[in-house]
Order: sequence, then C-alpha cells, then structure tokens
Amino acid sequence: MTLHVDGAVIGRRLPRKEDARLLTGRGTFVDDVVFPGMLHVAFVRSPIARGRIRSLDISTARDLPGVLAVLTATEIDRFNAKLLTFFFTPPAEFPFPLLARDRVAHVGEPIAMVVAQDRYIAEDAASLVTVEYEEETPVVTIAEAMRAPPIHTGADSNVGAVIGVEQDEDLEAAMASAPYLLTRTVRHQRIAQSPMETRGVVASKQGDELLVHISCQSPHLVARYLSHALDQPHLSIRVIAKDVGGGFGFKNHPWREEMSVIVGCMLLGRPLKWIEDRWENLVAACQAREQEMTVRIGLDRDGKLLASHSDYSLNSGAFPQVPDANVAVHMFMWAAYKMPQCGFYSRAWYSNTAGLGAYRGPWGMESLARETLLDVAARELGIDPVEIRRRNLITKADQPCTTPLGIPLEDITPAECLEKLLEKFDVTAFRAEQAAARQEGRYLGLGIAAYIEPTGAAGSMAPMTGEFVQLRIEPTGTVTALMSTHSQGHGTQSTMAQVIADQLGVAYEDVQVFEGDSSRGGFGPGAAGSRQGVIGGGACRRAAALLKEKVVRVAAHIFNVSAESIAIDNGIVHIAGAEKQARSLRQIAEIAYGEPSRLPPGMESGLEAQYRYDPPPVTYTSAAHACVVEVDVDTGFVKIRRWLSCEDCGTIINPAVVEGQIAGGLAQAIGAVLLEETGYDDRGNPLAVTYKDYLLPSIADVPDFEYLHACTPSQSEGGFRGVGEGGAIIGPPTLVNAIADALAPFGEVPLDLPLTPPKLLAVIEGRPLAKPAEKPATQPMPEPIASPAEEVTPHREAGVLVDGSWKMVLATPMGPQPMTGHFETQGGVLKGTLASDQGSQDFEGTVTGNLLKWEMKVTKPMPLTLKYELLIDGDTLFGKAKLGIFGTAKVTGQRASTTTG
Amino acid sequence: MKPAPFDYYAPKSVEEACALLAEAGGGATVLAGGQTLLPLLALRMSQPFVVIDINRIESLKFVSRADGGTRIGPVVRQSEIISNDILKQALPVLVTAAQHVGHHQTRNRGTIGGSIALGEPAAELPATAVALGASIEVRSVRSVKKIRAEEMYLGPYATALSSDELITSIDFPEWPVNTMPLFREIARRPGDFALAGLVGAVVIESGRIARAGIAWFGMGPTPIKARQAEAALVGQSIGSLDAQRLAELAIADADPFDDRHATAEYRRTVARRIFVRTLSEALKQRQAA
Repeated sequence: MTLHVDGAVIGRRLPRKEDARLLTGRGTFVDDVVFPGMLHVAFVRSPIARGRIRSLDISTARDLPGVLAVLTATEIDRFNAKLLTFFFTPPAEFPFPLLARDRVAHVGEPIAMVVAQDRYIAEDAASLVTVEYEEETPVVTIAEAMRAPPIHTGADSNVGAVIGVEQDEDLEAAMASAPYLLTRTVRHQRIAQSPMETRGVVASKQGDELLVHISCQSPHLVARYLSHALDQPHLSIRVIAKDVGGGFGFKNHPWREEMSVIVGCMLLGRPLKWIEDRWENLVAACQAREQEMTVRIGLDRDGKLLASHSDYSLNSGAFPQVPDANVAVHMFMWAAYKMPQCGFYSRAWYSNTAGLGAYRGPWGMESLARETLLDVAARELGIDPVEIRRRNLITKADQPCTTPLGIPLEDITPAECLEKLLEKFDVTAFRAEQAAARQEGRYLGLGIAAYIEPTGAAGSMAPMTGEFVQLRIEPTGTVTALMSTHSQGHGTQSTMAQVIADQLGVAYEDVQVFEGDSSRGGFGPGAAGSRQGVIGGGACRRAAALLKEKVVRVAAHIFNVSAESIAIDNGIVHIAGAEKQARSLRQIAEIAYGEPSRLPPGMESGLEAQYRYDPPPVTYTSAAHACVVEVDVDTGFVKIRRWLSCEDCGTIINPAVVEGQIAGGLAQAIGAVLLEETGYDDRGNPLAVTYKDYLLPSIADVPDFEYLHACTPSQSEGGFRGVGEGGAIIGPPTLVNAIADALAPFGEVPLDLPLTPPKLLAVIEGRPLAKPAEKPATQPMPEPIASPAEEVTPHREAGVLVDGSWKMVLATPMGPQPMTGHFETQGGVLKGTLASDQGSQDFEGTVTGNLLKWEMKVTKPMPLTLKYELLIDGDTLFGKAKLGIFGTAKVTGQRASTTTG
Repeated sequence: MKPAPFDYYAPKSVEEACALLAEAGGGATVLAGGQTLLPLLALRMSQPFVVIDINRIESLKFVSRADGGTRIGPVVRQSEIISNDILKQALPVLVTAAQHVGHHQTRNRGTIGGSIALGEPAAELPATAVALGASIEVRSVRSVKKIRAEEMYLGPYATALSSDELITSIDFPEWPVNTMPLFREIARRPGDFALAGLVGAVVIESGRIARAGIAWFGMGPTPIKARQAEAALVGQSIGSLDAQRLAELAIADADPFDDRHATAEYRRTVARRIFVRTLSEALKQRQAA
C-alpha cells in the first residue's frame, strides 16, 4: 500500500492510514491494555426485571481463592460518584445508582462487582453470590408504563420527560379543515447497540493520577465527565482510547459498569479491567430506539401539506443515558418540507428494561414516520411518490427561510438531491419492469425518501464545543497534528491528514494525526452528531493556514523576497516562478528550530500553530435515496436488488470515507427494517441474548450501494458537511417504502418494524398477523412503590410564604437543570431572580394565593420565551414552564431559606 | 463469558476416549469441532466436569465406501464433506446440505459427528441422516452398536446416545448414482438455522419412483421423517405426481412450533410451498437432463 500522493489531496479516494494496523490485527483496543498487578472484574447481575433485594450474601464468593474483593453499592456509594448525562447534568430528579441498592429495575442490572486475579475466577465467584429477591410485576412496554404506577422511588410517574402539547386549537382547526387527513402509527422496535468492540475499561491509579483506558467516543469528553462525576478536585485524570471498534452513541460517556470499575480502582488501589462480554452487551448495555409515533397529516387533494401533529413515545428503560424525549425528532420532522404548521407531543417512559442510549441518528424516527406516511398518502391520493415530494420539498429557490419550529435554512438541497438521483434512476423504466414482473408473479417495489440532517453542531450545549488542533512541522520536516477528534472507525487520522496536507502543500504521507489521549491537545466532544469532518476539518484548515503563513514568512526572509512570491508544493518551499530557488520543508524547519538568528526579527522559533474552530451553529446535510426490492410472495422474504444514494455533504474530503459512512448507516438500517430486534417477554426477560437470536445483517444481506455526490459547499470553513448518521436515518424509510410498494397489490404493509417474513406473508395472504397473546386481564397491575404525592391545588388564600430562596429543578429536554430561585412579593407583584450555571436572570410576575406566574426570555439554546406557572405547598413547589417550541417542562423545588420583613 | 472450570483430556484412541467417558460417569462432554459447545461453555449454559477432545483421534477421520454404502468418521469437518470426491459422487445431497451449515469459518471446524450428536432440530445434517436412512455407530466400554438415525432424536438436543457413548461412524446406505436430490431451506440469513427446511432423495426407475427418503428440519422438536409422503411417492409415475397432495402429506408428519423467528403457521405454510417448489423443480431438471 502506498500512501504517496502528488497534487491536491482533498477530495481523493486515498487509502486510510489506520487500515494497515487495523487490518493486520495490530490495533490497540482496551482489552490489549495490560498493567502489572491488574485485576479483573465480573458483575453479578439481576435475573429479574423488578423487585426488592431482600438479602445479598457475598461471603462464599469472597472466600474463593483468587478473589480479592466483592464490592456492592455499600462500598461503591461511599465514594459518592454520580452518573451524569452527555450534558453533564443529573439524569433525573432522583439519582441513578452505580450498583443497585435495595431494588432492581431490569434484568442484567449490576448488583455487585467481583474483583479477582482473572476473569474466569471472577465469573466463578459471581455465580456464588446469593441474592434473595422479593419479585414484583414488571412494567415492560410503553402501554404498561402509561398505566402503571412509577417504577422508580422518587418519581411521580413513569414519564421521564415530556415536551410539546397534546392538542393545539389552531392546529386542530387546520387539520379538521384539511380535505384529506391521514393518521398512522409507526413503530420502531428496540435495537441492541452492537459494536464489534463491546464496552470496556482499564482503570489504574498512581498517586493522584487516575489513568483510564476506555472504549469511548472521545477521551476528552470522558475526562471532563469523570471530573464532574467523581468531583475529586486533586485528582489528575487522563483518559486514553487509541483504537475503538465502533461507538454509535452509547460510548459517548461511561455508564454504570465503567463508573463502578473506576470507583473500584480508586477504592482498592489496584488496576482493574472489565471487558463487557457479548451477553452483557445484549442484556445490560444501553439499547436504542423502541419508539412509537402516531402522526396525523392534513393534505389537500393535490398532496400539498397543510398541517401535522405527531404524538411520540419512547420506552426509555429503567436507567437511560438519555432520559429525554428528543426534541430533534420534532424539530426535523418537517424541516425539509413546506409544512405550514405542525405540533407535537413527546413522552419518554421509564420501564423495567435496559436503559436507552443515543444511537446513530437518535432522532431518525422523524424521517421514518414522515417518509413512510408520505408514501401512504401518495398511494391513497393517486399521486406518484416522487411527485408528492417535488410538490412539498423546500428547494434552493425557497431559501433562505425559517421553518415553523424556528430553524433557519439557507442551503439545504434535498429536492436537488432527489432530481440528481432521478437522472441516474429511471422511474418510468422501473414501473414498466415492475408491471411486467407482476405478470410473472414477481413483486418488485421502489422506495424513495429524502431528508435533511443537522450536523457539526456547536455552541448550543455544554459538551458541544468547537474542535481543536495543535499542529507542528517537526524539525524533521514532517507534520504532526494533535487533535480533539476521535475515531471509532471514522478514519479521522486520514481525513484530517488530507485536509492538513492540502492546506499546507505537503504530502499526505508526511502528515501524522494523533488523537485518543485527553492529556494531549485540547477538549472536543469527538464523535457525536456527525461533527468531526465539519469542525475538525475546519480547525485543521485554519491551523494549517496559520502555520503556512509562518513558513512563508521564514522562507521570504531567507530568500530575501516578499511573502507573496513564496509557494509550497509537495513539501518544497520555493519562489514562485523560480523553482530552483527552493528549500525543503525540513531545511526551513531546521532553521526555524535551530537557528533563530536567521528568522525574521522578533519571530518565535519553531513551527507550531493551534486553532479551535467554532463553526456556524448547525450545518445541514441533505440526501435522497432510492431502493428496489423483490419480495418473494411465497415466503415473505425481501431481496434488495438495487440501492442508490445521492447525498450532499458539501466538499468531500475522501469519497471512500464518505461512502463508508453511508454504507455503514445503511447496513444498520437494513438490520432495523428486516432483522434486528431485542425484545422482552411479559416478565421483562430479554429474548435476544446471543447472536443466534439477535440477527445483525451480514455481508450477504447488504447489497453494493451506488453513490452520487451533490457537493454544495457549506458555510463552514472548507465547505464540509457531516455525513456520519444519514444512512441510518434515511435507510429505514427508503426500504420500508420499497417493500410497501412491492406489496401494494395485496394491501398496506404495517409500519411496524422489523418487517419479518411472517409479518409480510400475513399482508400477502390478507390475514391478520397472529399477535402474541395479550396479558390476561387478571394479571395484577404492579403495585406502586411509594404513594403518589398528594394533589396540590391553587388557592387564593393570602399568607402563603413565598419570599426567600428556593432550590429548583427544571426538567428540560436536555436533562434536569438545577436552579436557585429567589422570590420577593409585594401585594400581587412577584419579583425574582433565577440563577443556574447558565447565568442569572431577573423577572417580574404575579402571585395569587399560592400560584406564581411569570415570563422570561432566554437566548440559549435559541431565543425563547419561558412561561412559568408554579404552585407552592408549604416548603415545596411544583409546576411547569412552557418552553416555546420545546413544549412544557416540569418544575419542582424545595425551600432553601426564607426572608422575613 | 468464561467457562466454569473443567478437566480437559485429549485422548489419541477411541478406547481411551471411551474409558474416559465411562470414568466420568455422565459428567463429561465430547469436544469435536466446538462450534456449538464452546459458546455453550462460555455462556455457562453447559458446565461439564470433564471435556474430552476427540480431535486427535485419527481413526475418527475417514470417508470410505464399504458394504454397498458410505461411512463417514465423526471428526470429518463440514468443509471436508463439501470437497470430498467420494461424497460428491455417492451422496450429493449430503454435500448440498453441508454447504448450508453455518459459514466457511465454522464449517472449517464444525464436524459431521458434532452436528449429529447435538441434535439441533433445525440443523441440516441430522435431518439429512434421517432422510437418507443413515445409521450411527456408537461405542462405549460396554458395547458397539448402531442406532438408526430416525431413532436417534428424542427432542430438541435430546438423543438416544448414552452419556458414556461415542459416535465412531455415520453410515449411509447406498443411493444409486442418478438419485434425484431434494434440498431447500428458508433461513433469516444465509448460514442461520432453518425456519423450515426439506432434504431428501428420490430414486426413479423407468419413469416410476422406486425409493424415497425425505425429512424436515426446523419443523418440529426433532428432524422429522416425512413417512406418509415417502409412502405415497413410491410406485408413482413421475408424470402424474400431485405435488400439492404430497406436500399436504409431508406436512402432516411435521410438528412445527412458534418461536421468536416465526410462527408455526408460517413454517407450515412456507414448508408446504418449498416442498412443491423443490419437487417440481427437481423433476423439471430431471426431465430436461
């Protein structure tokens, strides 16, 4: 393999620098890390979905030779480490434990941690820990969570988060007057996050230095997370993750097991290793999706969109990493379409199942629901599926514009991507082929879908900062970059090198990119939200420009010419037009480092630069896909015959990497539509605990994709757009639409993933699918854990003590936001201040009896007017805040102090 | 996912292996290709005290023609079945079935004996042994005996093998060179266990069916011999076969179940169709040849 490249390096299909080590088994993953004296961890996990721990006996396990310790919540909790979300906020108004305390809330929940000299002994000992449970009836499904009392002590319902409004009068009126109203419920099954490398951590502590090797998506983010979660001011934290075999979202930050191992290491003072095995991965790791959405769309008879409302629920499980209702689902539901008005209602439900985590395109339910319903509408209205999109998609000519939910759009191109796709795919010819095939009893179908995707977001939420690079030309003339980006297969060591080589005018082979160590370079959240190409790429360009400027100044001084006449080509610095007047970059570097006296007066020695790039708040990527399937009507099996993608990810750094990202996402999409499904029985037992039952798509299930690239440069530095999640978002509706089109002669395909052969055969045979038996009505409903709080009602009586300080929590879509409120009343007038780590703000409102009301404007994460309505009951308060388009958030509070006078 | 402790033996002879099995008193498991056993050990779903690795017993690796039939040693790899010239000639349907077992990598380790001994109801090789009327030679310190394949399987993973017995050969009767093979399976992904599968052999003499062996896999708690269909086939003229009726008869012997991947009704429906498709296509091919 040669890495030498002449000429421009951006936009070329260059071999990846990391491939040689990864493909020959020379990568360094967490399990490759070994320390002297290292011990191994196995977890004791709950075999039941819900219950109280009556007793826990670790004595036999502890006595097994080779066992060093058996730690339970009693020991681990002494350290007071906290689980936090990606946003560094508490996940709920009640704490999530590291190890289960007195209750268990899902099968696989970690209860105790055995530390032994090897993993075999650790597992032997784990099986000797005896736990007695008082088993309770679990809450497994969304429907059960809606009916059941809260599964968590300290919660007042199973709603983990709620945003939006159930019904809006104006919207209902618009919908009622629409000539055609379509209502469907779309269901996405639960998916296991199934990276090739499972989770894993090796924690070691030397003095005040905690060194954590962890399989993660950004060592910088994990270091910052640990700093907040451990809250040990004197601790020096270093996090390393060299090679990582896939992240997809649930490796954004450590969770219960990794945190327990890190705390265990601090308690025992020995290096500890835990590598999640595949059974643990499928049973206990954070999972994904399990969403349902009932969408109502009003259209006119020509298929023009008029109004829409979506009612969305997701089964968050017991301890979700992301305990929110994902506002992005609604923000982007209609963002690429001319939809005059839309509304939403979102709820995330706790249940006795494994918690959810973010997973490639976490908000992608919007595209699945929208694109599949558009096809249903097109069929019912007798409009071609391409045509209904042409009539409604926002085109370049429609921009700039702002969506009804407040998203400004300048340069999205889904309509243009669709047209480019149709130049390559002849729909008319396909329809003829489809008709002819049907005559022979073969059923072909075409699916088309389009979407936009927010990428490269920065500046709106705590972890979402710019990306950072430290760049230097070594005295040897080679180029070294220390980056805040991180690859779990993304190939950033190659793509970032391409950007730097291109900008500096050096060979690709001469640029080395280092990432994966929080002690080097600077903070960046790494792989999360399709951001590294956009922001890391921008940082590389800016830093390289700074460095190039210095090289040019040095060379100009040496040649005694003006800076404008200096050029750098393929690592040679020369006078433009006089190629013989040249120095190699190495010669320039040797002078810059070793002979400061030859530098321009006042110039620092060395050739180094750094840049932290803050891009525009969001950069949009657009795409349209087409897929052709054949469904075997004897068996219900789906064969994908062709798949075309036309994406617009702006300026392409490396087409092979872009296509790899799209293909990976599409493979996950194919898995989601046809194969993958975790599942639970009615006692909350997981049903897919090995790869015999959890069916990932294999090479035989994934076709060769055809790629078209639209390449509209973005507003961000270099014109890049993110492309990490698109395939996983647009793949599912494209494939569902193709299957539905193939089977249209038989009836409507249920929008209920996965579309298994038995499900499709039921459509073909026109019979209802045999459903698993409903729980018998006699089955007892779960008992409440604690009696719900008494209802507090507004009253007008005077004398309610309002004045003073209150500790409050606002349950925002990004997680609970702790605040301190200070209230002063004068008659019916309320004056106050709300302070949080986001800043402090004064407000004025009214007080009527125990009812407080006020409004305040905020600018982060976007301009909003917040409307608070709170009720006071003794020393507690509760109520809600309307957060504009984010819907309504719950507010709770406790009196901190009173002011008298 | 680390196995519980066990004692490991790697005997070099059948006698030694049988002695170890007898000594373990039911606490031993035989390791052949390990493609099922090792995951079961790792998951601790199987926790034997003793593992007896038979991979070093050279006398268990053979394919031979004898007494008008074909004998296959239990430690013959599935990939070796696919490339074996004797088997291509004598038992082409066994070769086809082996091509559907797992994947290249697993077939390089997995053995015919391991597959026959495990008794996975949706596996290809046990059903092929049942369809073709194979018998299984087993030895222990007590005896040498033969078990007819159709009497081998008692339920899912339950066989007529005693805990001290070792399979020493799988013996297939002679099937004429121009036997018509039948094979088709429906699986969620290539290499998966079948949702429904059909394997068989039909001997045609002067336009009439002289002999038929047919079995289902994935269609009940064990591989299932389609006896009624076999009986109805024999003596029929190939020009007047009623594939639909034969499929009904074949299904009548099956006993499919609901599981995570398919309902019993789905299996029955699809199995009926693959029976018709497979038989009709095979006959068409035969007539064209």
